[in-house]
Amino acid sequence: MSLVSLQSVSKTYTKGRERVDVLSDLSLDIEKNDFVALMGPSGSGKTTVLNLIGGLDHPTSGDVVVDGASLKSLSPGKLARWRSQNIGFVFQFYNLLPALTAQRNIELPLLLTKLRGKERKQNALTALDIVGLGDRSKHKPSQLSGGQQQRVAIARAIVADPSILVCDEPTGDLDRANAEEILDLLQTLNQKHEKTIVMVTHDPKAADHAKTTVYLDKGQLTVQEPVSSAS
Amino acid sequence: MGRIQFLLRCMFRHKLRTTLTMLSLVTAFLLFVMLRSVAVVFETGWVNFEEVRLTTQSKYSMIELLPLSHQDTILSIDGVVDITHASWFGGIFEEGETGDATFAVDPESYFDVYSEYVVDPDQLDEFKTTRTAALAPQSLIDKYGWEIGQKIPVISPIFPNPAGGPFVFDLVGSYSSTNEGNDFLAFLFHYEYLTDTFAFGRVGWYMLTIDDPERADEIAREIDSRFENSSDETRSMTESESFRQFASQIGDISLMVTGILSAVFFTMILLTANTMVQGYRERIPELAVMKTLGFSNSSVSAYILAEAMLMCSLSAAVGIGIGTLVVLGVQEYMPPMIPIYFDPVTCIWAGAIAVGLGVFVGSAPAINANRLVIVDALQAH
Ligand SMILES: Nc1ncnc2c1ncn2[C@@H]1O[C@H](COP(=O)(O)OP(=O)(O)O)[C@@H](O)[C@H]1O
Ligand SMILES: [Mg+2]
Repeated sequence: MSLVSLQSVSKTYTKGRERVDVLSDLSLDIEKNDFVALMGPSGSGKTTVLNLIGGLDHPTSGDVVVDGASLKSLSPGKLARWRSQNIGFVFQFYNLLPALTAQRNIELPLLLTKLRGKERKQNALTALDIVGLGDRSKHKPSQLSGGQQQRVAIARAIVADPSILVCDEPTGDLDRANAEEILDLLQTLNQKHEKTIVMVTHDPKAADHAKTTVYLDKGQLTVQEPVSSAS
Repeated sequence: MGRIQFLLRCMFRHKLRTTLTMLSLVTAFLLFVMLRSVAVVFETGWVNFEEVRLTTQSKYSMIELLPLSHQDTILSIDGVVDITHASWFGGIFEEGETGDATFAVDPESYFDVYSEYVVDPDQLDEFKTTRTAALAPQSLIDKYGWEIGQKIPVISPIFPNPAGGPFVFDLVGSYSSTNEGNDFLAFLFHYEYLTDTFAFGRVGWYMLTIDDPERADEIAREIDSRFENSSDETRSMTESESFRQFASQIGDISLMVTGILSAVFFTMILLTANTMVQGYRERIPELAVMKTLGFSNSSVSAYILAEAMLMCSLSAAVGIGIGTLVVLGVQEYMPPMIPIYFDPVTCIWAGAIAVGLGVFVGSAPAINANRLVIVDALQAH
């Protein structure tokens, strides 16, 4: 059984009297330990798909099943708890809390766990080491480059050890060199740390790092798999 | 990083703005404690003078003097038990000082009328029998570091010594009041010592005891009617009435205090609410991220509310603390002319206001944070 399963989901946004049909009767299965690149023109609904997988939003119809759990059956509170345990989020613009140091940003999701202060700190520092920023724990986001901030964001996404990472254009705001480093890091997390990754990207080179590439256009999916993992 | 630390980091993410807001709050609570401590004196009748005592003074002005001959007339009125008189001397003990309460009194009757005053019998005897004797409250003795038995030079701008130089008194003892803190205890000396130099036959005011507090108004009217149409008309009233009149001269203090405090706190609400709302708006994406990470709607709004409460209560604690110290200090070191009294209830009120203010300014952002929809907030970002 696949880890993530979109089961004939449709998504319609209504703004006032205007209705936007973004996804219609769309199905997708993502296997455990896959690295999926989700591509498509802007406005095609890629972020919407990620939001559904990450439990940030519910489909208008259909269901999302992740690791055996049907997300539509979860109450808002349970869904929040489920997110904190199962999903790591990485955004295009990092979305770190500017008032907190790198280490404290990473500790933030651990406030939801039963871990004690010392363990929270230890886990945050370990995550920082994994993303290669062990020496920047006391830096505020404003004191870090874009690439470094995205590493901190990735550390925050993995610190609670979720099985799935959803990344929305994680390299969209970075130059080529930094983008490559982030992609290498995600690849390492996929291969060495067995994270299942769903990554939205516009960049065909970024898609080269993935195992599977999925195209989304006009509410429909085309899957292309498997592709060579290294280029 | 624990939850409290996280809260503090968020609260002080704009150090200057938060600090300024908190300083204003501290000032508001400081004002609250100080002004309430003044108002409480006038409101609660904390100055509980004996209702069985009347004062008689000149009808037209507190500073006009009355003839000494009034004394026997007043004493002859039915219901009047005892009478004494006092005159404001305006003594200055040390150059540069503004002067302390200094009364020329009748030593024979003064302590009979002021029955709550406590004085050593031997010292009182010496006071009565020595023409140059003086008694001082302990606070004054401490203030100037005097010792019993020493000579005290006093200068008065009202009664300048024609011989030049100061008047000199013998400090024969000290006195206090069982009604502690509620009396304006003065430096006392013989009225006759004053009339040796100034044979003017007049006194500042009379103080008398009566046999029935119920008849206080009746007796006061009777006294005043005796002197009606004379060249020295009088005005008599109970001691607390006289204090209230004094208070009403400088306005209805408690109303004034309430007015000032309302204005202060209205401003505070606007200021603090503005800080909170601004803080909420600029943090909408951050709050959406917190929810994304798995913080529940209620925990995110709890953080917002806690932040407002913490800001208000920390400021209140500091303001109340400083205010209490100031009030206690004034009470301790500047008795007894400044009517101020520390009442712990004031602190309880201030605490309650702090909590109320926190809830008030925190609830709107907290409710909005609770309703914030992740995908909308992140998309708008
Ligand atoms: N929260 C929302 N409310 C209303 N419309 C939305 C919302 N999120 C996305 N949309 C609309 O849905 C469509 C797909 O959006 P999105 O999933 O963000 O596309 P992509 O990520 O592929 O660029 C767009 O037309 C967008 O305007
Ligand atoms: Mg998008």
